[in-house]
Amino acid sequence: MVIRDRPVVGEPRLEIRRPSSWWTRRGFLVVFLPLLAAVLSGVTALAADGKVLLPFERIVTLNGKMASKRDYFEDPEVQRLLLKHRIRVHITSSGSREVAIQDLSSYDFVFPSGQPAGDLITTRRADANEYAKVHRPFVSPIVLPTYREYAESLEDAGIATAQRGSGPGRPLYYVLDMRKFLTSIDQGRRWNELGVQSHGISNANRIVVQSSDVCDSNSAGTYLGLVSFTWHGRADEVPGSDEEADERGRAIKPLMDQGLPGADVFRTYISPEGKGIAPVVVAYEHQYLTYQAQYQAESGKLDSDRVLLYPSTQFVTQPQFIALNEEGDRLGDLITQDPELRRRAMELGFRILDPTGEVASDQLTTFLEDRNIPVPSMGGDDTRSAMPRLQYLERMISIVGGCPAATPSPGAPG
Amino acid sequence: MRAVRSARSPRGLVSLCLVWLLLGTAVTACSAGDPEPVTLRVLASSELADMEPLLDDLRRETGIRLEMEYRGTVDASEALTSGGYRHDLAWLSSDRYFQLERKAAGEQGEQPLATATMRSPVVIGMKPATAERLRRTASGGQISWADVADAAAEGTLRFGMADPRHANSGLAALVGVATAAADTGGVLRPQDVSCDRLRGFFAGHRLAEDSSARLADGYVRDQDHLEALITYESELLALNGGGKLREPLEIVHPKDGMVLSDYPLLLLDPAERAAYDRLVEWLKSGPVQKKIMERTLRRPIDPAVARIPALRRPIGNALYFPDDQRVVDRLLADYGDPRRDGRARVIFLLDFSGSMRGERIARLRAAFDGLSGGDDSRSGKFVRFYRGESLTVMRFAGRVLDERSVTYGSPRDLDRLRGFVSDDGFGTTTAVWSALDHAYEKVSDEIREQPGRAVSIVVMSDGENNAGIDLDTFIRRYEARPAAVRAVRTYTVRYGEAGAAALDRAARTTGGRMADATVQSLLSAFKEIRGCDQ
Repeated sequence: MVIRDRPVVGEPRLEIRRPSSWWTRRGFLVVFLPLLAAVLSGVTALAADGKVLLPFERIVTLNGKMASKRDYFEDPEVQRLLLKHRIRVHITSSGSREVAIQDLSSYDFVFPSGQPAGDLITTRRADANEYAKVHRPFVSPIVLPTYREYAESLEDAGIATAQRGSGPGRPLYYVLDMRKFLTSIDQGRRWNELGVQSHGISNANRIVVQSSDVCDSNSAGTYLGLVSFTWHGRADEVPGSDEEADERGRAIKPLMDQGLPGADVFRTYISPEGKGIAPVVVAYEHQYLTYQAQYQAESGKLDSDRVLLYPSTQFVTQPQFIALNEEGDRLGDLITQDPELRRRAMELGFRILDPTGEVASDQLTTFLEDRNIPVPSMGGDDTRSAMPRLQYLERMISIVGGCPAATPSPGAPG
Repeated sequence: MRAVRSARSPRGLVSLCLVWLLLGTAVTACSAGDPEPVTLRVLASSELADMEPLLDDLRRETGIRLEMEYRGTVDASEALTSGGYRHDLAWLSSDRYFQLERKAAGEQGEQPLATATMRSPVVIGMKPATAERLRRTASGGQISWADVADAAAEGTLRFGMADPRHANSGLAALVGVATAAADTGGVLRPQDVSCDRLRGFFAGHRLAEDSSARLADGYVRDQDHLEALITYESELLALNGGGKLREPLEIVHPKDGMVLSDYPLLLLDPAERAAYDRLVEWLKSGPVQKKIMERTLRRPIDPAVARIPALRRPIGNALYFPDDQRVVDRLLADYGDPRRDGRARVIFLLDFSGSMRGERIARLRAAFDGLSGGDDSRSGKFVRFYRGESLTVMRFAGRVLDERSVTYGSPRDLDRLRGFVSDDGFGTTTAVWSALDHAYEKVSDEIREQPGRAVSIVVMSDGENNAGIDLDTFIRRYEARPAAVRAVRTYTVRYGEAGAAALDRAARTTGGRMADATVQSLLSAFKEIRGCDQ
């Protein structure tokens, strides 16, 4: 199958070439034929394991566009499991919102990190009468990774509290009182005023959370929803008109003022320079848990310098895998149903969903316990319903980020 | 299908694959042949010339040849926004300026894909003795941009810094020091840069070049006449290792923060996406990141690459980069031209009527001590008097009692200035508008002699006008003056029993404004209007 001029079916990895004269040379055959036999039997054994592919197998290369969920498809184990199903995935990185507002004609699937961007895509495609099928394999809460000195300063100031029962040793998880936190930001308080110096570091910058560009990232957009929800102060009341959305956008803009945003803030956060460059960032829980699991695997201990702030109001983001054609749909089926792929998603720190759409949380618990990673307690408070309707979220993003609002059709679901 | 390069024989390939297989290595290494050779045209920041040796490895390992065209980052960003792209890729020290330009131009199309490739902060290389001296008086023993500005203003620190109109390191330094001077802890806003707080800092700016490489060469040439060099950490480390410095530079990460560059690679021609992906994958791979670090002394973008000892020091806190083009434009307008004459003239009209006797005059003298370098606060270090600045003191009561001028060239000049305000001759009445009218007369002469120099007038009064001309007369005369004279702004400082309305109106008439010393200290009021003459 060919979309435009791009072959979707990839060539076999190891090509058998047309026999030519050198194959028949006696010396070569004597030396290499037994060897070749041995190798091929080895290859067969490996192939059954998914590690390599036989020459005669055809692999489908699917093109996908996504933001932070590329962590999933870039994982070598996920790639290995997909190869067993003869699928290879080629990823284009892009902010989730960018995924939604750009031309998708050359992709087989998209995987925006959250529902708003997903809705934007499905609505547009439905309007244009184009193929779109949604799969929801897992969720991940929005969290604010930071460093111990910052978390402890917030704790001193009564803004954060250590999560109870997160295992022995120094706490890895804190609950952040969003209301108090945003009030500090609103007052223009600086980290030094909060007392970080008594924890051995100095930072004269104002308290602010760094996120990727709110104009194209789902995590930043979700954080915006969280800030707006907290700042407005009346539970589960979301803006109900353009004017209200604009007003709330203007009200929270100063709370999110970080100047020109950096790209890939989580990667910056985990770099050795992170403490100075990105002391508090917006990320997904799975990014942090994967990081700790890797750190644990490499060094035999936890990175106790990097800790998590769980916002007191939790916003769970639901990545949406949207198949744009039938090949893409086969991949969507696999990642939501294949037991091995589901298990791997869980190992990557995602909270996988069971067939009824509920979080199957005990699996993640077991996985973390097996690796001596403290288990964060999850407030059962799924406030996804408090995300503003897409149309209003777009207006707020446009005001806070200074970018043109994407215009979903008026009937778009929130 | 990938093309098989003719140079490699198929037999060699298959044998190689078999050996790989026998060794149990992944078969993926044996895909048929090398990737198709491709040449990409790259518009690159000039400092990336140091990547040249790695580009040979790139061609060998991936078949990608980069045809580099080097430009200053700011110039390159402007070229990118001024119309269709003429290159396949852009590789800039930072794409912030490009992003701002794009935003300001209202471009709505798809942003070019960008991938950060490495990092380096713009910091200060300082001669050890200078660093030692600054540390002694720095609060907490850690040098800040304010300490640098203070030393530059008093003439004990002369530095090199690239031209911010062309080079990213200059722009990053300018944004860094301006953010520190505004001292809000946040992103610079237009109101933070409405007054020029950096004249003292720039009084020490003695070497400017259009690129960081030429800046480093310039420093080597002039090293006996400079104490510091503001540029990338990587350039400073390279200079220190290059054997051309008589004294190595101590690398100072200013306490109040720095601006970081992250060398993004931008895809301008989407048709080259496949090659771009290969290039990015290669650049971000562990071994290449390590090589980049070792050759260029920039910090890897890959968190997992172990840093060499020189790069293990904390990088310092990153300052936020403004997301408003107007802020950067204003900064560039104020400091863009390193060859401009930044030495302003300020005429202080000081009320010496009887009511100023005692505590008030003591406060005034303390304020002048503060502006002469005695104010240790961060803001004080930025807005103090600086070398080359001309200062005139006109003492007035019922008439102008005396007027004396000094151009700050040595500490003795500031002593003389303080001597002017410690005079104990007081008058009985207050003729503030006559005095101001007189000041504009004087300004007229000066503008004829030195056109283009920034001149401003500061009037401090603690009572109502009760002698000489009235405000309306002053304004009538002011409005009749030539445009160049009218362009000189008056800032008023309200003190004691002075009424706000008249002082405010006079200031606004000339384009200036009033600072109120009845709600803050006299020193703070003077500081509030320092550098606000444009």
